[in-house]
Amino acid sequence: MSNQYVNEPMLDLFIFESMQLIEQMELLIIANEKSSSYASEAINEIFRIMHTIKGSSAMMLFNTISTLAHSMEDLFFVLREDKPQNVDYSELSDLVLEGLDFIKLEIAKIRNGDEADGDASELIKSLRVFHATIKGQKSSAHDQNLSDGTDSSESCPPEKQQYYISKVRRTEITSLRNTFQATLRFDQDCGMENLRAFGVVNDLGDLAEEYYHIPEDLDHEDSVRVISEQGFTLFLKTDRSLEEIHRVLIQTFSLKDLQLIQVENSDLFNDLHKERIISLEDSAVKIPTPSGREQVANEQQEKEIQSSATQQSIISVSVAKLDQLMDLVGEMVIAEAMVTQNPDLKGLELNNFQKAARQLRKITSELQDTVMSVRMVPLAGTFQKMNRTLRDMCKKLNKEVQLQLIGQETEVDKNIIEHISDPLMHLIRNSIDHGIEMPSERETKGKPRLGTITLEAKNAGGDVLIIIRDDGEGFNKDRILAKAREKGLIQVPENGITDKEIYNLVLLPGFSTNENVTEFSGRGVGMDVVVKNIEAVGGVITADSVPGKGTTITLKIPLTLAIIDGMNIKVGDSRYTIPTTAIKESFRPKIADVIVDPDNNEMMMVRGQCFSILRLHDIYHVKTDVTEFTDGIIIMVEQDDKTLCIFADELIGQQQVVVKALPTYIRNTKKVRGLAGCTLLGDGSISLILDIAGLIGFRQSA
Amino acid sequence: MKKLLIVDDAAFMRLTIRNMLLKYEIEIIGEAANGAIGVEMYKELRPDVVTMDITMPEMTGIEALKAIKAFDPQAKVIMVSAMGQEGMVKEAIISGAKTFIVKPFKEEFLYQTISKVLGI
Repeated sequence: MSNQYVNEPMLDLFIFESMQLIEQMELLIIANEKSSSYASEAINEIFRIMHTIKGSSAMMLFNTISTLAHSMEDLFFVLREDKPQNVDYSELSDLVLEGLDFIKLEIAKIRNGDEADGDASELIKSLRVFHATIKGQKSSAHDQNLSDGTDSSESCPPEKQQYYISKVRRTEITSLRNTFQATLRFDQDCGMENLRAFGVVNDLGDLAEEYYHIPEDLDHEDSVRVISEQGFTLFLKTDRSLEEIHRVLIQTFSLKDLQLIQVENSDLFNDLHKERIISLEDSAVKIPTPSGREQVANEQQEKEIQSSATQQSIISVSVAKLDQLMDLVGEMVIAEAMVTQNPDLKGLELNNFQKAARQLRKITSELQDTVMSVRMVPLAGTFQKMNRTLRDMCKKLNKEVQLQLIGQETEVDKNIIEHISDPLMHLIRNSIDHGIEMPSERETKGKPRLGTITLEAKNAGGDVLIIIRDDGEGFNKDRILAKAREKGLIQVPENGITDKEIYNLVLLPGFSTNENVTEFSGRGVGMDVVVKNIEAVGGVITADSVPGKGTTITLKIPLTLAIIDGMNIKVGDSRYTIPTTAIKESFRPKIADVIVDPDNNEMMMVRGQCFSILRLHDIYHVKTDVTEFTDGIIIMVEQDDKTLCIFADELIGQQQVVVKALPTYIRNTKKVRGLAGCTLLGDGSISLILDIAGLIGFRQSA
Repeated sequence: MKKLLIVDDAAFMRLTIRNMLLKYEIEIIGEAANGAIGVEMYKELRPDVVTMDITMPEMTGIEALKAIKAFDPQAKVIMVSAMGQEGMVKEAIISGAKTFIVKPFKEEFLYQTISKVLGI
């Protein structure tokens, strides 16, 4: 693996830009596939995207990608220019998407520092066959013959054009004094030699009255080869001197070699060009008359300049730098607390210091908000990607499903986005594979043929909820129970298990209800991975289902990972931090409100409701003097509609804390339950951040 | 120091050209992401030479070339083309492009072309 290669910013940009373009193109294709033909703007756009990828990859010497992109570009060129009828757009979409997948795979290899060694020849062949079919329909009308795919997609139709140029103010040939013969050779690999030659003729412009050149037809495919092998020979008649002509010709770009001689016998010239006088105007390239299109362009121009100008003010920054910035801000939050809450300040009356400290705190928190907002990315991109998954699945399984996206603009931390893309994809696959029925089955059930999957995101306090809802057949309770029993996943007595608990069994590792493992889902490892991924970012996943109506999977994900608002509490010599968002209330309990059940579980009556009490000093074996409820404090916390009363010695105060993961050596030696991480407090001591969901689970299983 | 304006919709190509010219005495005074911006930037920055991509959104390189030439007949514009764009290149030459380069191109070739256009 060549690291210096991977880190090269140019390569990074190539990968980034190409991937972006490919994603954009995928969306275009999927959006257009549904209608019977592609919209002309889409064709234009796809053409441009392929063109850009072709050029960029050629610059990076990824020739396979370049060739493949070229084939697709050609295809869309035909679609754009010839507007052929009866194109099989479904086949086209398949082909092009396959091509994009290939490019994506190659780019992934490049990103990993591997050789982009994929073989696209089969793909290119299919693209050419398709190219030939759509072109074939056209050829009956226009009598154009298809060349072998290397043809110039943007060049003019190969009508015979003579580049024998005569000026408008034509004078009699005989009146011209000098006839010259010039042979020009161009640099090897300068590309488009025929057009370089054309440029020469064009440059001579007014200087010469009559020209004739070999090869004669600069538009002919062979002209490139001829010029690079034999050079470009030009005869011209002019009243200018040899020096003057030489001065012009020597200016030619990519010129390797120039021979210019005066030819005495003008008969040669005359013979060559006899009867071939075509005016420059006629022989010039057909320039597409910029009609309405340009007008529209002009009207929009101003607006576009503005919009593009704002685009220019955006820069892309590597995530690593943002991570670093975030870390620094985290350190700063700690440092701020260390200064403003310094133990040395205790009991001192420092008015000015307090003022300055307040200002510092304000700025720190603004800085932190800004840095966090920089890291926030809308979910739109991730959501849009699901369209592709949906399309492929539906096609393979012959199901009809539409995807509804709600709340795409909801933003989450960049790191979190990366963790939820795969789980979402898997959940969507599950919904289509196991949830949504076949269209005919749906009809007999009185449902619309077209199934619907809704992907919704919304903010809920410090969390983002992502909800995947389908209107399929829902979970089968009995099958889940049977399966769970078989796998030994049920620990509690079955008669006490609620429906919701049954549904959530499917989230347990190693659970899969579908006996038929399909290509897409149902391997049983999927859900496991989904849950792990979501938990890795501190999220929670729940499942609910209504038989016959559909299934809803909810992902609850924290907005950001790094900094939380926390309440610091004290138990003995230890400090703990509870995320403020989880706290409902805290109070000093009255002994009369405490109930003890026959199993010695302590409960707290609050406004007629009963809640379990968790003694922190008990579960973490902390020595403390405060063991009587009346001496300490109860903090009531809630997560996922479950409430728990935590008993601690006292509250220390509220503070923003930077979440640090528990050191690996601790995590590896012992599975500590109920801790989300740790943080550094202002006085330099370490506080453990409580994981409320974990604690609730703790109480239930205890 | 001669001033260059890069007009290309692909950020990758802009970076490539920029990187290729790093060691030469050419100052890149601007980068435009489409033809329309390119024309505006030309008018504002008055570069000595422009590299102009052909296929771009909003306004193609050809249209931008024409607009620039209309504004400044002396403008030196180098078209950046790719295989398959022969027709466009030809149109560009007629419309007054100094010359063109074909992707993929090498660093030396780019510099030679630019220096020749600039007469240095």
